[in-house]
Amino acid sequence: MEVFSDVVCPFCGCLCDDLEITVENNKIIKTKNSCAISLSKFMHHEDNRLNYPTVDGRRTDLVEAINESAKILASAKRPLIYGLSSTECEAINRSIELAELIGGVIDSTASVCHGPTIITEQSIGLIKSTLGEIKNRADLIIFWGSNPTESHLRHLTRYSMFPTGLFTPEGRKNRFIVAVDVRKTKLSRIVDLFLEIEPNKDFELISALRAIVRGVKIEAEQVSGIPINILKELAERMKKARFGVVFYGLGLTQSEMGDMNVNAAVGLVSDLNHHTKFVILPMRGHFNVAGANTVSSWLSGYPFAIDYSRGYSRYNPGEFTAVDLLERKEADAALIIASDPVAHFPASAVEHLTKIPLITIDQKVNMTTLLSRIVIPAATVGIEADGTAYRMDGIPIRLKKIIEPSEGILPDSEILKMMIDKIRVLKGGY
Amino acid sequence: MEVFLKPKVKPLIPVEAEVLTPDRFAGMKLSEIEGLPVYVGNRVEKLSDYFELEGSISEKPADQQITILGDASRIKYIGYGMTAGRILVEGGAGMHLGSHMSGGEIVVKGNASDWAGAEMSGGLISILGNTGDLLGSAYRGSREGMTGGCIIVKGNAGIESGIFMRRGTIVVEGEIGSFAGAHMNGGAIFIFGKASRGVGAEMRGNGSMIVCFKGVDSLLPTFIYNTIYKPNFMRIYLKFLFNTLKIDKAGEYFETPFKRYVGDAAVGGDGEIFIAET
Ligand code: SF4
Repeated sequence: MEVFSDVVCPFCGCLCDDLEITVENNKIIKTKNSCAISLSKFMHHEDNRLNYPTVDGRRTDLVEAINESAKILASAKRPLIYGLSSTECEAINRSIELAELIGGVIDSTASVCHGPTIITEQSIGLIKSTLGEIKNRADLIIFWGSNPTESHLRHLTRYSMFPTGLFTPEGRKNRFIVAVDVRKTKLSRIVDLFLEIEPNKDFELISALRAIVRGVKIEAEQVSGIPINILKELAERMKKARFGVVFYGLGLTQSEMGDMNVNAAVGLVSDLNHHTKFVILPMRGHFNVAGANTVSSWLSGYPFAIDYSRGYSRYNPGEFTAVDLLERKEADAALIIASDPVAHFPASAVEHLTKIPLITIDQKVNMTTLLSRIVIPAATVGIEADGTAYRMDGIPIRLKKIIEPSEGILPDSEILKMMIDKIRVLKGGY
Repeated sequence: MEVFLKPKVKPLIPVEAEVLTPDRFAGMKLSEIEGLPVYVGNRVEKLSDYFELEGSISEKPADQQITILGDASRIKYIGYGMTAGRILVEGGAGMHLGSHMSGGEIVVKGNASDWAGAEMSGGLISILGNTGDLLGSAYRGSREGMTGGCIIVKGNAGIESGIFMRRGTIVVEGEIGSFAGAHMNGGAIFIFGKASRGVGAEMRGNGSMIVCFKGVDSLLPTFIYNTIYKPNFMRIYLKFLFNTLKIDKAGEYFETPFKRYVGDAAVGGDGEIFIAET
């Protein structure tokens, strides 16, 4: 029996790094400090596994699966590489190398969750801080369209609501917590102020707050279903906070015109910095979606939605984002890495995905692997393979390998390396 | 002089054909033009793989008309960066039509796709059908969209039309999608159909103006009502639209009073939204 301490949990953007995992005979038998999601993922990581590569549904060996994939990708005119957010940085690095090699389009799952965040970050920046700073200093926390009680279970206890910190010695008591959402949630019951707003009206509310912070008199009596006097109080509270933070989630990015919403929210936070210290952080979902954007930015210059068809990187969300590309029926082959687009994309995009040669690298059986022409099983990053991931606040954390994968199962990065080597040979050593 | 391009196939993968400009064609032989490169996915192919060419080529771009006899809705970058001459598309046009153009004229009889006239600085684009999103807009990451020229859309326009507009004119005779003229910092947008939510969001001012003739779905609370009047300059604008740009609908509003709103107060802007009081 071996006990691994300070294990990093590879399941959500919190990347909790204080887990204790007990392993016996290469099997996980106990976890400590895990949340419910993490517990189930660690304990059931062997369920539903892909055990061997397949080509056209036929069991094969890794070399044949790689060779077949290489043939498809090397000859494709408009190949798409998609996924990346649930693997580690080395594999992301290799995916981008592969995209450049085959002149393809590469996009991460950010394009269907926090794409608007990244677009905003690029155009006007994002005033951020680390979660540690927030735990120690923040006295006003606003959850906007995000609900950690469902999606990031330990966020509240580790960083944002309950923990005691240097300047927040009494924990919860030192913090005023606000939630903004379109419906009541578990979170809304435990906060100090809950604003239930009309759906798709976030932009209006943020704009009104910005105007009030600037001292403008708003004529309307209510905005997005919230009386103006409540907004005035909130604006005052924001200005008077010692250290304020907005944590926003898909409620803001995926409601109508997410890019405008995030742009406005970032603008509000930037305006508030005339009065006090205020920061804004996206609640990133997949454990390494932040890493996908970071690695991609330093390698290609752009965070997602990148096209290498002309030999250099071009960026245009809406044109080179996976869903748009598929809906326009552009791609003629696709490689999916650690993601399940068939389950999550709109039907019109999935329809095209099912018509082109589809190659999937994943650990588990999912809707996409079921429809793929080639399936290559991979080791679970953070359990069977190590690597680096970026936490939602942009802090890189090293994931640990705590058990050995089954024989013949390799990590994503090694599979991708083999694929790249094979394609180079097919392309005459290029 | 006029050169005719007859589409041969409907490409499955869109063709990037920024060579389709009078600037590029002028002074070339027809056979040379046929060999111009187009980009299809990760391959370089020839213009003649997609079009049959016929007609005559002039020495100067300004004297050159390019007529596409059919649908070009899978052809991107038609008229990209053109400075003079004329392009007529009998059918639809693909993405980035006339983006970065600085002069000349493009007429599309069908629909145009997204980013038509994006970051253009001069010239005229007329689209007789509808357009996609981000008409005359800035590309992501850029803070300046259209800086000059004019776009006329007879049908409807998509979302985020004219965002980050800096100068120039956009006229949409149909409806316009949400957040038209967001971040606008100069220029004028005339919307003859209904305007949707978020019109003028985060508009900074610098003389920017959005005129809505058929009302707005829901005006942002951060546009502050000012007055109702018949501005003289509006009549001059409308006469220009009516007489020069041949927008018949403008003729109906010569005597109409307009409500004036100023904003966007969220960003301390002093742009204007005029809503016709009919
Ligand atoms: S909150 Fe997220 S990172 Fe932390 S233990 Fe739960 S799933 Fe893992």
